[in-house]
Amino acid sequence: MVEHSDVVCPFCGCLCDDLELTVEGGEITGVKNACAISRSKFMNHGENRLRLAIDGKEASLEGAIEEAAGILGDAKRPLVYGLSSTDCGAIGRAVELAEVLGGVVDNTSSVCHGPTILALQQVGESKTTLGEVKNRADLVVFWGSNPTESHLRHLIRYSAMPKGMYVPEGRKGRHIVAVDVRETRMKRVADEFVKVDQGGDFELLLALRAAVRGVKIKAESVSGVPRERIMELARRMKGAKMGIVFFGLGLTQSEGRHMNIDAAVGLVSELNHHTKFLLTPMRGHYNVAGANSVTTWQTGYPYAVDFARGYPRYNPGEYTSVDLLAKGEADAAIIIASDPAATFPAEAVRHLAKIPVVTLDQKVTPTTMLSRVTIPVATAGVEAEGTAYRMDGVALRMSKVVEPEEGMLSDEAVLEAIIERVRALKGEVG
Amino acid sequence: MPKIDVTIISGRTAEQGAGLEEGKTSERYAQSTSLIELSPADAEALGIDEGGTVKVTTPHGVVVVHSKRSEGLEEGLAFFPYGPWANQVFGASTYGTGMPLYKGVEAEIEPSGEDVPSLEDIVDGFRSGS
Repeated sequence: MVEHSDVVCPFCGCLCDDLELTVEGGEITGVKNACAISRSKFMNHGENRLRLAIDGKEASLEGAIEEAAGILGDAKRPLVYGLSSTDCGAIGRAVELAEVLGGVVDNTSSVCHGPTILALQQVGESKTTLGEVKNRADLVVFWGSNPTESHLRHLIRYSAMPKGMYVPEGRKGRHIVAVDVRETRMKRVADEFVKVDQGGDFELLLALRAAVRGVKIKAESVSGVPRERIMELARRMKGAKMGIVFFGLGLTQSEGRHMNIDAAVGLVSELNHHTKFLLTPMRGHYNVAGANSVTTWQTGYPYAVDFARGYPRYNPGEYTSVDLLAKGEADAAIIIASDPAATFPAEAVRHLAKIPVVTLDQKVTPTTMLSRVTIPVATAGVEAEGTAYRMDGVALRMSKVVEPEEGMLSDEAVLEAIIERVRALKGEVG
Repeated sequence: MPKIDVTIISGRTAEQGAGLEEGKTSERYAQSTSLIELSPADAEALGIDEGGTVKVTTPHGVVVVHSKRSEGLEEGLAFFPYGPWANQVFGASTYGTGMPLYKGVEAEIEPSGEDVPSLEDIVDGFRSGS
């Protein structure tokens, strides 16, 4: 029996790094400090595993890599997509593959916090680490974000419960505000719940900014929130020692998208005339922040990068995966650590079903069911080590706690092999 | 047959998250994603029991799913957990941003006697282009 401590959880952007695992006979038999989703990931990582196959028929790894290289090398407009649930080494290789192919590389942020990136590129951001939040924040706002369902230990480890250096009382020393269009469990967790009309976040953020600036609001209510409530919240925000807005897909996936984030940054910027205020996106997949970072340091851009002209170009709305598929532009795709057939609108998936797809994953998914080539890979952070970036940009090293099935490679190693074969097929020296 | 108009928002649930880590082909994943949450008033207006099947129609598609009452929703707002069932009724237009509209989709909901499609049915639908 082997006990592993300080294990990093590869599920959500919290990247909790205090898990304790028990491994007996090469199997994980116990998980401590994990949330329900993390426990499910570690305890069920061996279930519903994908098999090596070409057109549904059993294949060798070499055969699958050869077929994958052929499909991608022959394509005019290949798409490399996914990458948020694997390690940074694999992401780097995926960018390299897109460059070698002259294709497009995109990651799942195009359908989660892509609008956040669009806004922050325009107006900047005031950032911090979750450690600073734990030690200093006395006002924590969750806007369009429900950590009780999606980031289950965020409140316990970073934002609500922990005793910090300047928040020695812990939960009692913090005022928690939740802003949402529906009453989630956050209504019970927070000190204050603000119900905003669906699609009304932008107006409410602007009204709050105006109130912080001292402008008198003439309307009796904005987006369903009474004027007095807005004035009171503005007073409270200005009076905080350190405040933070954690915002989620309630802002990025609603009408207005990046403009909602622009308004949130504007509010935080206004508040910095009075006190210290920050904002952090609640990144979903555990290494989606890493996908943006690696793609940026290799190409200059965080997602939606096209290499068709031999150099990187960036244009969300054109080189983003949903658009490329819905317009019928992509003629082949390689999907790494993602399941677009379950997460994209059906209209985009129907095109994915028409083109040859190569998928690297651990488990059977709707995307693998539609794929011509399926290559099972070692689970990063469980069966393979690697680096991942937390939602606040802190890099953490994930462990390998059990051996993968014999002969099963990591995402990075499979991508390396495909790149080598594509280069050979194109007559380039690897 | 009663019909109601709602605005759909989609999102993650802990059960959907745990289900996908068991596997997308697991019963837990299908159960947690092939349902739509309705406000008590809307469920009442449709005259359906807890878990009763409903047909969700938008300009982008149609899907039959189970229903679940949720006290946290106000009348006219429905919550669809992320997954292939929800994505049957969302459009792919991103208005130049890369992001489809996953929250704030207008839909019509009515009771349905049809079976809820399985994951395999949905994947077959992608293949046949329907």
